[in-house]
Amino acid sequence: MRMIVKQTFEVLRQLSARPLSLIGMLIVLLFLLIALLGPTLAPYPYDEFARDADGMVQRRVPPSLAFLFGTDQFGRDVFSRVLWGAREIIVIPGIATTIAVILGTSLGLLIGYFGGWIDELISRGFDSLLAIPALVLALVVLTTIGSSGISVILVIVILYTPIVTRVIRSATLSLRTVGYVEAAKLRGESTAFILFREILPGVLPALVVEAALRFSYAIFLTASLGFLGLGVQPPSPDWGYMVNEARETFSRTPWALWFPAGAIALLVIGVNLLADGLRRIFRYEGSLI
Amino acid sequence: MFQSIASRVPRLIALVLIAMMTLIPLQAQESTGGTLLVGMNAPVNLDPASGSNDPEVLFNNTLYDTLLDVLPDGTIVENLATAYTISEDGLTYTLTLAEGVMFHDGAAFSSADVLFTFNRLQELESAALGLLSGGNFEIAAPDAQTVVFTLTEPNADFLYGLAGRLTSILKDGTTEPNVVVEGDTPYQNFNGTGAFRLTDYRAGERAVFIANADYFREGEPKLAGLEFVFIEDAQAQVDALITGEVHFIFKLPINQAIQLEAQDGITLLERATNQHGVIRIRSDEGFIGADPRIRQAFKLATDREELNLILQEGRAVIGNNDPIGPAFGLYYDATITTTDYDPAQACALILEATGQERISLDFYVVDALGYPDMATVLRQQWAEGCIDVNILVRPENVYYGNNEWMEVELGLTGWGDRPIPQQYLIEAYITGGIYNESHWSNEALDALVAEAGRTTDPTARAELYRQIAQIFATDGPIIVPYFAPIFGAVRNEVQGLEMAPFPGNTDFRNVMLGN
Repeated sequence: MRMIVKQTFEVLRQLSARPLSLIGMLIVLLFLLIALLGPTLAPYPYDEFARDADGMVQRRVPPSLAFLFGTDQFGRDVFSRVLWGAREIIVIPGIATTIAVILGTSLGLLIGYFGGWIDELISRGFDSLLAIPALVLALVVLTTIGSSGISVILVIVILYTPIVTRVIRSATLSLRTVGYVEAAKLRGESTAFILFREILPGVLPALVVEAALRFSYAIFLTASLGFLGLGVQPPSPDWGYMVNEARETFSRTPWALWFPAGAIALLVIGVNLLADGLRRIFRYEGSLI
Repeated sequence: MFQSIASRVPRLIALVLIAMMTLIPLQAQESTGGTLLVGMNAPVNLDPASGSNDPEVLFNNTLYDTLLDVLPDGTIVENLATAYTISEDGLTYTLTLAEGVMFHDGAAFSSADVLFTFNRLQELESAALGLLSGGNFEIAAPDAQTVVFTLTEPNADFLYGLAGRLTSILKDGTTEPNVVVEGDTPYQNFNGTGAFRLTDYRAGERAVFIANADYFREGEPKLAGLEFVFIEDAQAQVDALITGEVHFIFKLPINQAIQLEAQDGITLLERATNQHGVIRIRSDEGFIGADPRIRQAFKLATDREELNLILQEGRAVIGNNDPIGPAFGLYYDATITTTDYDPAQACALILEATGQERISLDFYVVDALGYPDMATVLRQQWAEGCIDVNILVRPENVYYGNNEWMEVELGLTGWGDRPIPQQYLIEAYITGGIYNESHWSNEALDALVAEAGRTTDPTARAELYRQIAQIFATDGPIIVPYFAPIFGAVRNEVQGLEMAPFPGNTDFRNVMLGN
């Protein structure tokens, strides 16, 4: 445990030493904080129509002190909606990426270690799945099982498990014949011990970088699906959905589009900078699909 | 050398000018008529007997003719039928058919084709029968140029029925209208008498037509060709219009319409219509709307003025709780007032009817013409009236295609313009109506609608519609927040285009392109 904490601090120290990685880390931290505290910090509920003293809806109000990011065509506070939406855009990809990484790592370790027909079967199956463009596959799955947050998580898991599997399998292949693994086999250690205690630490650098990258792509995919109106329903503060809503009124309320679009861009840039920093620290040069 | 070239420059310029002057008239001559490009959503159901939304109707109107036409102002004019007479008892309609009319495959049009078409409508139990006495008529063809419809009781709207959106005349014996086939003549089933012939069709992409040189109306069509470019996204349609990729778009949401108001080279078209969104609550046994108090609570919790202001910039006409809009003129009774917004009263009714302080429902909404936006505002208003809804936006093809709209408990459906109120009433509100999505059944209403159908005197009919509207106001399962104007936009080089209140009925036969 102390070892893990020590290593984590070392990674953070190295990240902080690189300006771009530090920026990425700070951006991600900021958004995690927003996701955690956003609803508390938001001055209004995400679906409330702001009204003046006469009860009239305050639509299309430009950014001001009362409404930091202005109000949209319905009179909703864009700042509050962006804060509320952070949770959705981080939690859904976060859960989905975690599941995909756990599944992909387990499968990658197994098929990389054992090889043989099961490796062929799973690898070729996943190759066929990866041949389908991500968004097309997402559309097919969502229109089949229906649109909801859980559906979006399922879509991301289906899309990213094969990719993580492929990366971990590749790393496992180069480790299964190294001396300490052979020694563990000779000691008569169980397969689970060999996979998770001997091989897993060796593929960890690849795994960390891959997880960060998948998280970044998952954010973008979630926003894209939200933009297409899949997985979210009005009056959701999903940033992708907000961009889509604001797109139709862009000529009259441009600020309703600027801020959610800017938030998506900033978060994706932040996660990518962080992933790039991790890649450099771990000197991981594996294939980034 | 240079001098020699310099001396030739004026002559060269003159030559170029002469060449340009020669070419310009040629170009102008070529563009006379021209090809009109229409940006629109893709049609899904191409069967003329059932394809009922704007793109589908526009597609069929291009290829086929009807016996009679309805002009944008609602008047009936002759088309394939050049004359008609109605017997004194109102039971016999005799139509004389145009001579020299040919289908696109060269076959001559005759009364046999009319018989075939109307028999097919009866066999398919098409929605077209709504205004055609529910199909209770007999049709006979005494000769090749005459058809006679015999009714069992008078029907004041029978001519509108003959001119309906689903009554395109097919060739006798057509088995698969508008179905593409393999081989050298893939479009042989797209065989009408219409002003344009289909030359290329790619589902979801485009449909290309050329003018029918043998069209029976002299001098029509004026266009050399017509092309439908299928663009699903409203903003993309607007962009295509601005960049000149299409000449005409229709059914624009208000935000896009406002965007085009100040656009050079483009004219915004706005028409008052009877088009309206219907919030409907299922009112048959086992559903929450079976209790009239719940239906009333929804009405009390709906602030129509605010909806109009937020969603239509105040340009719409506030609706009653019935489908009879102000564009129907005499038949619209402005003295029937809407239910005032009173969320507290709505809460009281809900408590009285259910014993609970709040009710919660899924709210199915068709993804068209800004209806999801309407649902967003309604959700806020209804929350004040103790009604919580979970909005579920559905694409048009899912909402209508899967018959979902007929089944759900609470829905928001778009209803396009109809030339007469009777059509809405027969299709959607009488017991057993083909599109009775609220499953409402009211005997008094049924009787009044039937009587209105038999009543030819406009004043007497208006009184019946007033009584019908009154029933809707007190007992009806629907809310019509407003009657929205419909927007289209056309590039200024297009001449002679008049957008119909139901844009699918827009007539391109006299449209031209030119500067």
